[in-house]
Amino acid sequence: MTQAQADDTRVDWEAALVQRACSGDSRAFERLYREHAGRVYGLCLRMTRDVQLAEDCTQETFINAWRALPRFETRSSLSTWLHRIAVNVSLAKRRKASPVGPSLDDEEGTGGAIEWTLETPVEVREIEAAIGALPDGARDALVLHALYGYSHGEAAQMLGVAEGTCKAQLHRARKLLRERLNVEVG
Amino acid sequence: MSGADERKVGSLRELSPAIEPARDLWPQIEARINAERSTSAAAAPPRSARARAVPPRWLAAAAVVASVAVGVWIGRSLLPAAHPGAQSPLSASRASFADAPTALDVAYVSDPRYQRDRAALMKTLQARLAALPPPARAKVMASLEAITRAKQDLQNALGKDPGNALLQELLVNTYQDEMRVLTDVQASDAGRGI
Repeated sequence: MTQAQADDTRVDWEAALVQRACSGDSRAFERLYREHAGRVYGLCLRMTRDVQLAEDCTQETFINAWRALPRFETRSSLSTWLHRIAVNVSLAKRRKASPVGPSLDDEEGTGGAIEWTLETPVEVREIEAAIGALPDGARDALVLHALYGYSHGEAAQMLGVAEGTCKAQLHRARKLLRERLNVEVG
Repeated sequence: MSGADERKVGSLRELSPAIEPARDLWPQIEARINAERSTSAAAAPPRSARARAVPPRWLAAAAVVASVAVGVWIGRSLLPAAHPGAQSPLSASRASFADAPTALDVAYVSDPRYQRDRAALMKTLQARLAALPPPARAKVMASLEAITRAKQDLQNALGKDPGNALLQELLVNTYQDEMRVLTDVQASDAGRGI
């Protein structure tokens, strides 16, 4: 079986579980949770930088997803849909937990795609710590774009900012990572 | 985050997006979902007089259609081989079917008693359908069409993955669903519907 076939099978399997969950089957929804919890929690944790908050956000994400499941279009990606919910929940929790930080809304985007390769390999924990130390806006954009693979437009839409702002945040994230890791981020 | 991970990476894209929570968050999610479900069930308006008047057989037929629909979805979703992600719950569910008897469907449909009963029911089907009220007739025909499509889909899937015990089981369930619908139609009369 090719990877593409495997992906198709996975999507079909997921669609079947979504259908069953929509009809009230909580076991089917639990299987969807088990499949996606790691990526949702990873996103929430990186956005909130707080284990307790991230756990709350993950639970809230799946509860909101359960409520909204009948409106989910099975042709679209469940993973992306869950991430959108997770971003909204995390942003709301973060706003509640701490005052609003500085915004880059007026900055212009500074360029195109960034590859996010490191000139010298760096330990995972060191990079995670450097990402965790980034300002909220820059970190959000970096996590969605560089780790989760969303385009500038998708990341911007999820975060509720202009695409130019998202690009500016990514540029800022790259600059700060370069300084903190003392390596070139290409 | 990934605390003790001393692995080195040359790109941020090599970082795993997934981080497993330190504890299982599902029990609390499930509790909230169940609480919401019981609240909404308690707050639900009483069923209309029309709904209450629907005979039980009608509900049974609707349930048949629902189960067939689920069967088709599952059948379609599982062909033909295992998902390579070892941690997927799918692997576990497949494993649980691995020891199931194979060729269930062949054994079922080749049973002379099944063939005889089905032939007898099919013989009178058109006459029975004609005697039903139009809404009931339409519902039964839709059910039978869904069952026929389900059988075809499952047979096609089994053609690609003949050893898949889950598909075989779903196919047998579909044969049984068909028999239930045919039996219900047979037992119905024009006045009662099904």
